[in-house]
Amino acid sequence: MAKLTHQSLDSFRRELEENKGDWIKVGMSTCGIAAGADEVYRVINEEVQKRGLAVRVEKCGCAGMCYAEPLVEVCVEGVPRSVYGKVDKDTALKIVDKHVSGKRLVNDHVFNVKVK
Amino acid sequence: MEARYRKTLLLKDTGALDRTKEFFNLFLERLREEGLQEEVQVVRAGDLGMYGYGLVVKILPDEYTYVNVEAKDVPKIVQTSLKKSNPVQDLLYTPREKQMRVVLKNCGEVDPESVDDYILHGGYGALKKVLTEFTPEQVIDELKTSGLRGRGGGGFPTWMKWNFARKVEAAEKYIICNGDEGDPGAYMDRSVLEGDPHAVLEGMIIAGYTVGASKGFLYIRAEYPLAIERIQRAIAQAQDYGLLGGNILGTEFQFDLEIRLGAGAFVCGEETALIASVEGKRGYPSPRPPYPSVKGLWGMPTVINNVETLANIPVIFDRGGAWFSGIGSQTAKGTKVFALTGKVKNSGLIEVPMGITLREIVYEIGGGLSEGKKLKAVQTGGPSGGVIPDKFLDTPVDYEHLMELGSIMGSGGMIVIDEEDCMVDIAKFYLNFCVDEACGKCSPGRIGTFQMRNYLQKISSGQAGEDDLDKLEAICRATKKAALCGLGQTAPNPTLSTLRFFREEYLEHIRERRCRAGKCIDLLRYKIKQEKCKRCGVCAMHCPVNAISGSREEGYRIDVEKCVKCGQCFEVCKFDAVTRE
Ligand SMILES: Cc1cc2nc3c(=O)[nH]c(=O)nc-3n(C[C@H](O)[C@H](O)[C@H](O)COP(=O)(O)O)c2cc1C
Ligand code: FES
Repeated sequence: MAKLTHQSLDSFRRELEENKGDWIKVGMSTCGIAAGADEVYRVINEEVQKRGLAVRVEKCGCAGMCYAEPLVEVCVEGVPRSVYGKVDKDTALKIVDKHVSGKRLVNDHVFNVKVK
Repeated sequence: MEARYRKTLLLKDTGALDRTKEFFNLFLERLREEGLQEEVQVVRAGDLGMYGYGLVVKILPDEYTYVNVEAKDVPKIVQTSLKKSNPVQDLLYTPREKQMRVVLKNCGEVDPESVDDYILHGGYGALKKVLTEFTPEQVIDELKTSGLRGRGGGGFPTWMKWNFARKVEAAEKYIICNGDEGDPGAYMDRSVLEGDPHAVLEGMIIAGYTVGASKGFLYIRAEYPLAIERIQRAIAQAQDYGLLGGNILGTEFQFDLEIRLGAGAFVCGEETALIASVEGKRGYPSPRPPYPSVKGLWGMPTVINNVETLANIPVIFDRGGAWFSGIGSQTAKGTKVFALTGKVKNSGLIEVPMGITLREIVYEIGGGLSEGKKLKAVQTGGPSGGVIPDKFLDTPVDYEHLMELGSIMGSGGMIVIDEEDCMVDIAKFYLNFCVDEACGKCSPGRIGTFQMRNYLQKISSGQAGEDDLDKLEAICRATKKAALCGLGQTAPNPTLSTLRFFREEYLEHIRERRCRAGKCIDLLRYKIKQEKCKRCGVCAMHCPVNAISGSREEGYRIDVEKCVKCGQCFEVCKFDAVTRE
């Protein structure tokens, strides 16, 4: 990677913005991992690959709701951006199936919706 | 707002009775009658972050929130807000967000393993601004405007610390990030290091530019392997991108960072001990002055800041010092991250504007107490802090107000205590911690804490007299005055503060040999109430030491000599026939 300069930082950011598509983020801080986020991350990754979905699976830090870990946030076109809590393997699969593919929210695990 | 998805209705019962499913079906039925079942999606939420508002309904994309919804309201909501897009005025509620994310804005948002994602979220924009638009003096002025004070416990104004170091002439200067975080129950700094590592680096690079340092260290305890891994990766990425090393962002400025691992000693969080540890020496504190900002690491001017303090720096320069000082109370600006734990329903990491009340934190963010118990006090400041009894719950949280009540803001541990916790036991817990962690360099720290612990032990085992309370207090005050470092100076705080607000509990232990919370096991007596006993024998079966003798015919008895007071019999008895006094 060429070194960034104060002149190129902003254009580099704009480039990143243009390429940002749909994504899923799994809370992978110590609190999340302790609650089983490792497996959730793996399951989602596998399922997304298996189905060949155009969605990036990423990690993120602790969103604060430790009581609700593992947390998974999903931002895909056509569905409100949502944070799921207490996600286990089954819910993880449902998130890929219902939310990402089916464009419908998964029941009983939505902890927050972000409108903006 | 433009709707990019179908109408969505989220619902959740936030009251005592969970009628979520019932209302889910009511809405579905109604929508079917209206032929709207395809247009609208109804979702049972897991939690909507609101408590005690009965059945809550949220409608998207319109962002209407309805509270205390009853069955009779369902047709009205469907008609007004789902068929059309108007609000139902008499149910409408505007949620007031109690939390405010400044330091944690990226935690849970940004991929901490990707510098690109950080940059995408505006990262390193503050660094660019500072390097191209600010002289070091202007950075100090902006920080002064912001009013930022240290988040590591002391609350020292950050601009002053930086300015001291900036003004000293020296061949080399250093920036240290204090990521030792030793308070039991605290994990704010870990979350920031794990969740937003680049923000801490950005804060350190700005600090380096301001004071004229070209080298920095992140001191992180070895028990935080994930934090270390992520910081390590972040440093490598930043070097790769020209954000660390020579000619940062194409300017003249040069700065490098390294990690130093702490071995997990509480005293190594104290700045002078931490510096000794970074130098490769034993983590012993030394008297101040000289302060590290004048004479620190290897005798050079050193800025040492807490993780959270440093993570505040980028947003201050992104949004301006004036913006930052608009948040918070008179004397404390910005926000504070707390690790809210203990007997609270929703434990977790919260970030609140300074000056919020404890009541708002416990009830509106924490969702109240778990199991509906009664709140007794809130502990802040860990082993250096104190307890704040329920009658002061409306106290604003900032440095000065907590100090007035004999506690401190500390680094952000906040533990909710209920009726089932014993105050003597809590004081003992923190003192045990301090006895274990005292480095032994000064005698008040070494012997004072030990003696205080002995008195507490005596009280909790029912062997103390009333005059022992005075002796305990005298040792507390002496240790506070005479200890060399902050550990010893603050170790008496939990004891003094529980004595101040809960003296009657101490007296009960002494006079009546009674622990009302049932925590001090030496004072407990388990007994079987013969009138209530159904002679089922379950208690005898569960007793691990065979202290319960008898039979179904003649009844059961606990042998006090054998009893180890584990409480098993008390737990398993279905008829409340086992009493604990
Ligand atoms: C016994 C003891 C332990 C401490 N532990 C920590 C710690 O874990 N993290 C921290 O940031 N500050 C800790 N401090 C405070 C530091 O000495 C120092 O004041 C702080 O790092 C300064 O940073 P700030 O100005 O950003 O708050 C401790 C102090 C004492 C006396
Ligand atoms: S040196 Fe820290 S208490 Fe004595």
